[in-house]
Amino acid sequence: MKSGRGSLLFSLLLTAIFCVLPLIFTSNLIQHLLVIIGITVILVLSLDMILGHAGLISLGHAGFMGLGAYTCVLLVMKYKMPFLVSLLSGAGFAGLLGGLIGYPSLRLRGHYFVIVTFICGIIFTLFFTNLVSITKGPMGIPGIPSPQITIVPGWSISFKSKAAYYYLVLAFIFLTIYVKHQLYHSRMGKALLAIREDEDLGRSLGINTHAYKVGIFMISTAFAGLAGGLYAHYIRFIGPDSFTMLHSFYFFVMNLIGGSGTIAGPVIGALLLTVIDELSQLLQPALARILFGVFLILVILYMPKGIMGLKTLWVSQMKGE
Amino acid sequence: MFPQILLNGLFSSSIYCQVALGLTLILGVMDIADFAQGGLYMLGAFVAFLIAKSWGSSFLFAICVAILAASAVGIINNIIVYQPALKRGANSLIAALGILLVIQNLALLVFGPDYQTFQLRFGQAKIEIFGGTITLYKSIIVLESCLLVLGVWLFLQRTKIGKAIRAVSQNKEGAAIVGIGSRKVSVFTFGVGSALVGLTGALVSPIYAFDVHFGTDVIVKAFTISIFGGLGSTLGTIVGALVIGIGENIIAGYISTEYSNLMTFVLLILILFVRPQGIFGRRPI
Repeated sequence: MKSGRGSLLFSLLLTAIFCVLPLIFTSNLIQHLLVIIGITVILVLSLDMILGHAGLISLGHAGFMGLGAYTCVLLVMKYKMPFLVSLLSGAGFAGLLGGLIGYPSLRLRGHYFVIVTFICGIIFTLFFTNLVSITKGPMGIPGIPSPQITIVPGWSISFKSKAAYYYLVLAFIFLTIYVKHQLYHSRMGKALLAIREDEDLGRSLGINTHAYKVGIFMISTAFAGLAGGLYAHYIRFIGPDSFTMLHSFYFFVMNLIGGSGTIAGPVIGALLLTVIDELSQLLQPALARILFGVFLILVILYMPKGIMGLKTLWVSQMKGE
Repeated sequence: MFPQILLNGLFSSSIYCQVALGLTLILGVMDIADFAQGGLYMLGAFVAFLIAKSWGSSFLFAICVAILAASAVGIINNIIVYQPALKRGANSLIAALGILLVIQNLALLVFGPDYQTFQLRFGQAKIEIFGGTITLYKSIIVLESCLLVLGVWLFLQRTKIGKAIRAVSQNKEGAAIVGIGSRKVSVFTFGVGSALVGLTGALVSPIYAFDVHFGTDVIVKAFTISIFGGLGSTLGTIVGALVIGIGENIIAGYISTEYSNLMTFVLLILILFVRPQGIFGRRPI
């Protein structure tokens, strides 16, 4: 973005549009979709922190989302902790485990790191299913209360309605975007860029690439955990099937289709794929998934940089380059 | 109880070993983690089942058709998707998952959502070895798997095309310099690898109940094995398959079935941390 003022105006305009969306669309279905898309956007943004900035692929983010969700829900329901504290603890716990897993596995190169994240996702699902005493196993946890945030003692906001929840999610989206933006322009962002382009060269310049990778992986998994907590309190039911490897795969595809390494890309990807997914409910599910698979392969082959990549291409063609 | 567990483990190992061998060939030559092979495993099972049950032809013939079908689909995947993907530097892992999605759901449309089972007329006699029992059919599979692995190893060591496959998987540019076209080799490798996977699917179809999502578990485990043993190493694949196949059955027998998968994966992750190249793998130069 070259013209700072133009892009600022543009983002302000977008912000305004996002703020009035639930006022324009009052139908239940669309408001529900808006919340779901919002939560997905946080998740895809978190995924993009590692894919877009450091070029690392994770196929286990749904697992981290689940960790955050279960932690948050258990704190709220078993220990009667306030919602915001639980939400942040869930995010913290997911981030912590991200660090524990990332520290050894981020030394691996190539396919290996992806496979470790992939397997971690499976392991988390196995835990959610088998630790019956804590997670209630395959039955899942029903009846999660809608969040109540106490601002001053005796006066609290309840997020029961879909529109209210939308604003809660929107606030967290802005938080995520802010963190991502700050990261991108920080020393860490530049180090990560070096890692993405050429890790060995970065190391030869004295960048502690491993520490930066672990750091960004922790931040990324923490935001995935945050999205999980938000998801749990919106759907008000969680089970092992809510956070499978297929979900991780979907998030990754959203990121890829939107375009990685940008802020708009994950938002577009989450929006587009959720809408396509909804529309495909009109078809037979098997047929819809076949079309999705074909679409995916075509995107991989002909649009490797996603929709935001097309935009860059288009801009450079307009300038006659 | 222990001999029984050992026999079950040996059977699982021989199944895993065949699939892992197919995967490791492909991973070595094309550097593709081809999860779509899960679909080919399922396809092998369904084709063998349909031909043997509906047409009433001999099971051996059904297996041959299953191998051909799997191998054909594997080669088509390679030509239509993987080759262009590699040429464009696109993410082949996602392409593989996309193909898996297409194959599984096409199968869902064609074969329907039900679990299928069928019984073989032969090989149901039980043999007793060291106090454990195993059906004749399972013991034939174990034997066949040993011979097959030996065959593949000899093929890779002795034949010209086998040597070409090893050359390409060790160094693509080097192979190209001495005149080995990687395109031809990769098509051939996909054919052989998919055939191994399809064959295994067909072989186990009379043993397990299967639906269209049949192959997913096995493929993940086979990947675990090929990474565990070291990519491209036949010996490593055998050892990995034995460790995981028998270990899994020991855990299922003495602790609990739920945790047997978990142990497999935990083991893999530990191995990766200590020896990322696998037990018998070489570090890339």
